[in-house]
Amino acid sequence: MSLNVAQRRLLQEYRSLTNNPPEGITAGPISEDDLLHWECLIQGPEGTPFEGGVFPAELKFPNDYPHMPPSMKFLGDVFHPNVYPSGLVCISILHPPGDDPNHYEKASERWSPIQSVEKILLSVMSMLAEPNDESPANVEAAKMWRERRTEYEDRVKASVRASLGL
Amino acid sequence: MAEEEINLPSLVIVLLITGLAVRYFFFSGNASTANRQPGGTGGLSPEELQRRREREREAAVETIQQMFPQVDRRTILWDLQRHGGNLQATTERILAGRTETPPITFQPPPPPTSPETTAAAQQSATATNNKPAEKKAHPDLITRYNLKDKLASVPSEDAGAATSSAPKTGGWSSNREERQSLLQKRRDQMIIEARRKMEAKIAAEKAAAAGNN
Repeated sequence: MSLNVAQRRLLQEYRSLTNNPPEGITAGPISEDDLLHWECLIQGPEGTPFEGGVFPAELKFPNDYPHMPPSMKFLGDVFHPNVYPSGLVCISILHPPGDDPNHYEKASERWSPIQSVEKILLSVMSMLAEPNDESPANVEAAKMWRERRTEYEDRVKASVRASLGL
Repeated sequence: MAEEEINLPSLVIVLLITGLAVRYFFFSGNASTANRQPGGTGGLSPEELQRRREREREAAVETIQQMFPQVDRRTILWDLQRHGGNLQATTERILAGRTETPPITFQPPPPPTSPETTAAAQQSATATNNKPAEKKAHPDLITRYNLKDKLASVPSEDAGAATSSAPKTGGWSSNREERQSLLQKRRDQMIIEARRKMEAKIAAEKAAAAGNN
């Protein structure tokens, strides 16, 4: 099977993520038949209401990866200001390269081919710990996070336990 | 007379362009699906491609709707379809108020399920919607990854010791199947470990609460 640029690059990233897995992250293609479709697990960062949880997410890579970023979607319930109710993750590193049309994010924060799956997953982990309040994807979560922090944390903790079947 | 000579050919050209445009929009929806991505589709079947395209389109519509709740879905889909699905361009046109009203003949595909119904579906666990694979209720991780047996097989007291003393299941195998199963093992282990830790934490909390009383 001859691989194109995207597939070769993804196989290489898969390899380095397997050899040197970052703490709290497991990621790889669901099946090597389709290297453009990954599933990963992210551990909830410690000291946050997500602590103790494990969050599955899927990554879908475009054919022109690494020129364009993948999309990332949580497969379970993640109540977070920067995660759409559908599970879709909204952070700058997943946005196409170049300048933000709304002059909101710096080009350096957005996707570029020098980024990687590992960097995305680490960014998502730190996003879980520190929501970006400026561009909420889940307005309800953003509002609760801002105004009723304890309630927000309780809700997240409850969903973490439910996700572990407890 | 000279005016007429200029007008007639230009009229023909305008008609020709319009015709081509209509043709292009008509076929951009389905016919070009297969040849839109000429190389590197790997082993994807046309159905998979179609589904992927649908998901991408839904994601784009959703993103736009989050930004502009006042713009209806049909207008967004029309604009996306007309301009090759470029999310950024559509956003800019909405901001500039340059979106067009879609013609009556434009029949967009139905929305999968709205976030509200998805949330409701999660609660009731009834996944009878038109996109069951994607929108069904989220089962817990133990169910999702079929870990009930594994969870039951090792007594929880030994779990901590077992997982910490076990060599880190990692390392790249040259065998494709082996890689796959190693990855799955790492996933399972991560979930089981999290579950055990949480069980212990809940037990500790209960004990503390009992101690306080």
